[in-house]
Amino acid sequence: MVGFGHCVGMCGPIAVSLSLSLRAGKVLLPHLLYHAGRITTYALLGAVVGLTGSFTAVTGRIVGIQRGVMIFAGVLIILMGLAMIGWIPLGRIFTDSFRPFGFLSRAFQRLNAACSRGAYYPAGVVLGLLPCGPVYTALVAAARAGMESGEPLQGMFTGSWLMMAFGLGTVPALLLVGRLASLGWLTRREVIYRLSSILMIALGVYFIVKAVRF
Amino acid sequence: MPSSANDRPPLKRVVKPRGRLTGLLLYVVLTGMAVCLLSGHARAQVVEAAVDCAIQSGSCTKNLGGGTVTLDISPRPVRAMHDLTFTVTFSGIEPAHDPVIDLAMPGMIMGPNRVVLKRAGETTYQGTGVIVRCPSGRRTWKATVTLPDTGSAEFIFDVVY
Repeated sequence: MVGFGHCVGMCGPIAVSLSLSLRAGKVLLPHLLYHAGRITTYALLGAVVGLTGSFTAVTGRIVGIQRGVMIFAGVLIILMGLAMIGWIPLGRIFTDSFRPFGFLSRAFQRLNAACSRGAYYPAGVVLGLLPCGPVYTALVAAARAGMESGEPLQGMFTGSWLMMAFGLGTVPALLLVGRLASLGWLTRREVIYRLSSILMIALGVYFIVKAVRF
Repeated sequence: MPSSANDRPPLKRVVKPRGRLTGLLLYVVLTGMAVCLLSGHARAQVVEAAVDCAIQSGSCTKNLGGGTVTLDISPRPVRAMHDLTFTVTFSGIEPAHDPVIDLAMPGMIMGPNRVVLKRAGETTYQGTGVIVRCPSGRRTWKATVTLPDTGSAEFIFDVVY
């Protein structure tokens, strides 16, 4: 319920951006990898708050990182939107004909060739740090469960399992949004891609503004 | 059997443009519905909750059952993402069970956040909890004090980030 009510509004734009950037390609595996990355981060955070028994001690230390992740997410969505309509030659950076910085471009080329879909997992790990009310609430519960368990190690596992279950609960709603946005069922998609690019750029700016105000 | 597009029955050439338009309209409608109806932020704007407790200035009292319940939160200022002590005091009521406090943001589903209270006096109960922060920037929260077999009282207040 929390997933459908809150997550679609907050993380739905990211799921939509991922689908649109994949164009008409298969979207299920990249989305699953992205969500697996998110759940990994949630489980790690749950383990830490469960082990320490304190939500505020942990979240107080990562608020700066979370602000940075929000800005990163906003910039990423803007870049994806600009690249989709060809306003920046992001795709050309990964081809053999463009080598501005030598080592850097070769590294990008290898990464793109080897695991362009696998990159969604680390993206999910990073974006799992996005500040989110329901995630915080779940972490509070994980910290409380850890505190009540009595044993730090048991608290760590309890907190981790709790957050994994929470993360799994958010997947159906976001998978549905991502699937709807994949546009595989549309016969003519280019107009939608252009409109969606503008929407993505606006959403990216919105993320950055929220990060500055956070 | 038709061997090229020109050999196809006319009906298919007529259906294609309508199919595109239908698909486009469906996409716009579904996307709009998903954003507006399922977004917690949109619903929060529709459900405006009036602040009725100046918790930053002192405790708040509401009627409950045949008596009253007073809520106090410390330390002040009451900040989100900080450990807080919730104190509930009953007057004119003999609690038979321990009360609980459920923290929620009006108009936005944040998940269950319950503060368990333990007896700290004859009619006073205390517990610790955390009011989490919403990236939307909204600062209005609701604490629902529930005394089993008696009823509930809601306190709506603003927190500091």
